[in-house]
Formats: sequence, C-alpha cells, structure tokens
Amino acid sequence: MAEQHHSAADPAAGQPLLRAESLTRHFRVGGTFSSETLHAVDAVDLTVNEREIVALVGESGSGKSTIARLLAGIHKPTAGEIYYRGRPLRGLRSRKDMLWYRGEVGMVFQDPFSAFNPVHRISHGIMRNLKLHRPELSAAERRAEAERVSDRVGLSPRLLSRFPHEMSGGERQRIGFAQALALRPKLILADEPVSMLDVSIRAGILNLMVKLRETEDVSLLYITHDLASARYVADRILVMYAGKIAESGPTESVLADPQHPYTRLLLSAVADPLDADPEFAADTGEPPRVINPGEGCRFRWRCPFAIDACHTVTPQPRRIGDSDVACHVAGEPATHAAGAAGSL
Amino acid sequence: MSTPPALLEVQGLTIEYLTDAAAVRAVDAVSFSVNAGEFVGIVGESGCGKSTMLFGIAQLLSPPGEVTAGSVTFRGRDMVRLSAGELRHMRWRDFSVVMQSAMNALNPMKSIGAQFRDALLAHERMPADRVKERSAEVLTLVGIDPVHLHSYPHQLSGGMRQRAMIAMALLFTPQLVVMDEPTSALDVVAQRSLMLKIRELQERLGFAVIFVTHDMHVVNRYSDRVLVMYAGQVVETAPTEQLFGQPRHPYSRGLIEAFPSVTGPRRELVGIPGSPPDLAEPIKGCRFRERCPVAFAACAEIEPALIDVEGAQVRCLLYSDAGVVGERERSGAPSDG
Repeated sequence: MAEQHHSAADPAAGQPLLRAESLTRHFRVGGTFSSETLHAVDAVDLTVNEREIVALVGESGSGKSTIARLLAGIHKPTAGEIYYRGRPLRGLRSRKDMLWYRGEVGMVFQDPFSAFNPVHRISHGIMRNLKLHRPELSAAERRAEAERVSDRVGLSPRLLSRFPHEMSGGERQRIGFAQALALRPKLILADEPVSMLDVSIRAGILNLMVKLRETEDVSLLYITHDLASARYVADRILVMYAGKIAESGPTESVLADPQHPYTRLLLSAVADPLDADPEFAADTGEPPRVINPGEGCRFRWRCPFAIDACHTVTPQPRRIGDSDVACHVAGEPATHAAGAAGSL
Repeated sequence: MSTPPALLEVQGLTIEYLTDAAAVRAVDAVSFSVNAGEFVGIVGESGCGKSTMLFGIAQLLSPPGEVTAGSVTFRGRDMVRLSAGELRHMRWRDFSVVMQSAMNALNPMKSIGAQFRDALLAHERMPADRVKERSAEVLTLVGIDPVHLHSYPHQLSGGMRQRAMIAMALLFTPQLVVMDEPTSALDVVAQRSLMLKIRELQERLGFAVIFVTHDMHVVNRYSDRVLVMYAGQVVETAPTEQLFGQPRHPYSRGLIEAFPSVTGPRRELVGIPGSPPDLAEPIKGCRFRERCPVAFAACAEIEPALIDVEGAQVRCLLYSDAGVVGERERSGAPSDG
C-alpha cells in the first residue's frame, strides 16, 4: 500500500517529501513575569513520504494541531527545522517562496461550518486560490479547474454556485478538500477533518482521502484523536503524548502489537471492555503536564510500569520490532508478563 | 399484566416546533418505557430528534418547541401536565439531567461546593455540616478528591468538570438520570473512565439512565437496551446485544457499519449517503427510503408501522407482508451486499 513512485527525473527522489527534525514549539503562558513555558511540541522527528498517508494520533493537548500549524507555516518553530523536498522552511523568506510552499502543502480544517465565508459562494475560495497561486490561468480555465476539483471530491459542479449555508457538513468538508486540491498540492494536512461530521458521512470523507492519494498523487498527514479511523486510512501511525512522539510505526504493527504503555492505554480505551488492559482500568484520562515538564518521561505520572529512570531521563525512540518507541521499559519481558498477569 | 409498572412510560410523545411557516414535527409519536435501574441508549444522527425528545421528557422545552400530544408518566404522574412548581420540586430530587456541554454548565463564578450547596438547599433544609458531608460524598463517588469543593470550574480539567456535573446530578440519589451526550467532548480515555463510573454507580445506587449519543461504540458497550431514532421516529428498539448482533432496520445496520474497527478485520466503510429528510415537508411512505440500500416500490407508498419482530421492534416494510413482495422484487436485481 505504501509503495513509492519516484520518477528518475525528480531531483528530490529518494528523500521524504516532508521531514521535520527535532521540531519544537514552546508557548510562554501566564503574565509578563511568568517563567512558565508550555511545551506544546518537543523535539519531534517525523517524515511523510510521497503518496503516503500518515496518521498523527493523540488526545487533546498532545500537540498534534500545533504540529499541523508548524508544518503549514502558521507558527514558527522555537527550535528544529522542517524540510520540504530537502529545502528548509526557514529559508523560504520571499512571498514567492511562501506562495510556492503553500501551494504544495494544503490544509483542511476541522470545522467545516466556520471555515467558509458565509457571504461568498462556495466557488469563491477555490477561484481566489487559483488566481493567487496559478495566475497563468484564464477565467475560463479557472472555472474548468474548479469544476475538475469539485468532481474529484465527489461533488456536482452545480454546487459551486451555492452558499455555504445551503450545504451539509459533509459537502462543505468535501469543498475544503477541493479548495486544497485546486493548487495541485503534493501534501494535504488534514486536521481532524471528520470529527465534527455525523457518523453516517464520516466514512465518505475517509474514503475520499484514500481515493485522493490514488487520483491526485498526494500524500496526507491525517491528524486525529480516533485510532480506528487512523487505522482505516493510514499506512503509518505516529502516537503523540504531551508534545512528544511516544510510538510510531506501520499501522498494523502499532495496533496489533503496541509497545508504548500509552499506546496500550489508548487501544484499551477503544477496544472491547471485556479484554481491556486491566493495568489501565483505573486511568481517568487526566490531561498531560506540559508546563515546564523538565526531564523524564511525560507519561510517567500515569504509567503503571514507570521505573526510576523514567523520572530522570527523557526516553529517546528505540526500534522495537517494526516500531520506534520512546520508552525505557517497553520491550522488556517484565512489562508484557506483568500486563498479562494483570498485576505489578 | 402482572409486571410492575415501568419507572418511566413515554406514550405517543409528539413534539412540534411551531413556526410561522409550518409546524415541524421533530418527535413523532414516540413510545417506550424505562424500568428501574435500566440503562437505555438512544442513538441517531444529528437532527433526528433525540435531544428534542430528551428535553420533552425532562420538560425543558422552550418555545417554539412544544409537546403537542402524548404523555410522559414518571412514577405514575404525567410530567407533561405538571405545573412548573411541581416540576421544580421533582428535578434533582427524583430525576436529574446532565446536558451535552455539561462541563460548561457549571457557574464559573462559584466554587463547586457553593453550586452543590445551592442545589441541595433548593430542596431541603439542611444544616451546613450535612451539606458539606453530602457534597464531599458525591464528589468522592465520581472519583474526585473532596478538596475540589473549594475549586472553581476553570481549575478542573474537562473530564473532572463533567464528573462534577454527574456528582451534582446524584446529590439526592434520583431514580432517573437523563444524559445528553455527556462524554462527546472528552478524550477516549476520559470517556471510558467516566462511562465505567456511571455504570458502576448505577449498579450500586440503582438509578435508571437514559443516554443520548451518536456514538454506537458507547451504546454497544454500556447500554442494556437501544432505541434507534430517525427523522423523529423510533425505527428500531432491541436489547443491545440483539441490536448489534442482528440489526434489522437498514438504518441501524448503516449506523453500525459506519464505524471503522480498531481490532477487527479491515473492511470498506460505506456510511449512509445522503441526509435526513426535511421534516417541514409532508413525507409519504418510509422516511428512510431515499437513503435505503434495500428500498422497494412499496416503500414510497406505505408508511411502515413499528412492529414486533422476535423480541425487537422494527419500523420497516421488509418485516411486514409488503416485505415478501419486496423480497421478490429485489431478488431479480443483483444483490448489493
């Protein structure tokens, strides 16, 4: 599913489409004299390959939306660098460079009900994007392109002359994808695109994302809190906790054989209660501590397996099986034995 | 009948939004009952009338919404006909309501303890130490340290605020707790923990729960019985295991199949294309037929009734005499799996 198609002519062939290296974003919180810093994203490495769908999974407050904003260029990183086709984002200074990047990397937002200007027709956003990013097109070509992208997302071109309030949430979210597609992007950042939609139409949007990879040759970074939908669309899953990647790997191996205690907790919360992990039954889902977190594993306060090292040393990702796991105890036989016996 | 009367008996409940243009019937002749200690889940898409119905049961409708027919009998009294004063006397004490955005329903200007005190003193004269004692008790019940009686809502996490609301609903140990999507704003881990807590308290204290949600996973795991609503009507009701093991109404089947699985086999999701009908327009025949994968000719003509099918109740012509004709009709066409 995740095979890559590199053309020999592509100078960037062989390297990932997008790569983030120890990406970090802190926010100062509190008053002027406050020394409190919120570590939204801390030293995150991630890659998205061509024609790959990567899911970034985490609960609220895990930093997943901050990553989307960093990758979209909305926030500047506190430290670390993002490379797109090998070019550092920090080097993109001119308006022309930024236009180029924003054309290559599109974004679809969570709330299709507030993402559109209610006084403009649905076609407005697509046309304006086209005018800005592809000025070589004539008015007729723009119209044709708008019709092409609306067809690609499964909407009749007739809908383009409608106003946002005349459309359902599912239709609006499709328009969100059409708007991104009009720029012929290579990567779409989709931040919780289905979480505000009714269950009956979520499937349509998930299927659309998988289809766009085939028809438009795009990669997708799918940001979600829902492991089941991540499994449905993604080749690879990154599990975030408190601003760090806890575990990453091929979708099926992460879900079939989760290594990080946090991944296990998440899975046990969505799986059948009868075979839920007894180790985590008492966890109440309290939010992570990300203000001045200091050294040590950020999951240690909730982790039933925490050892002394977890309090003093921040775990670095290690390869266990097919996954990269940032945990001191994962993969040790004791963790699994204890988990199976239900006591520690 | 020798069975004891149900705790709550909803009979032909009809709720209309009376606008200048037309009366929109958001809830159409819904009947069901809830027994003491039972956990009833109500599911459906947004706009299917589930929240309106809950408001109708709790007598919290505000104009233009109005109960235009039917009754809601709670412990032998018809709540629709009670005065505001009588209802106020019953709320919190006999039944309580936890709203969808319950975590924002707390007063930001008052500590948790002060809000609990207000609710308690509205119903009973109680000495201050008894108020404190009871408040601490219910907070402990939902797994929050009683020191948080001094906390203000902004000092608590979303999950804790939601728990505090449930604690407040249990101040008087009511017999019925009505919940409108109480967990939809929470993360999965917090949601699971809260749901387990609700079930545990329910088993311990014996209150009944009516639980409205759009999340089939939650219903599957925690409710005893499920009511599936579509376009203001009940389209299927059955014990949870039966509904998920053998969904009969095509809409129930669609809802169940709209969710991807995290552990089971990977299969193509279909969802339910289209959207619910506009209830301001008159509808002929089955309300679901335009989105139904197995609709046949009679569905456009005959409005299906809710009929008994092996322990379940289903509103679908497939299970009536017309269904036999439909079966024959469809067997000519290629199966759509």
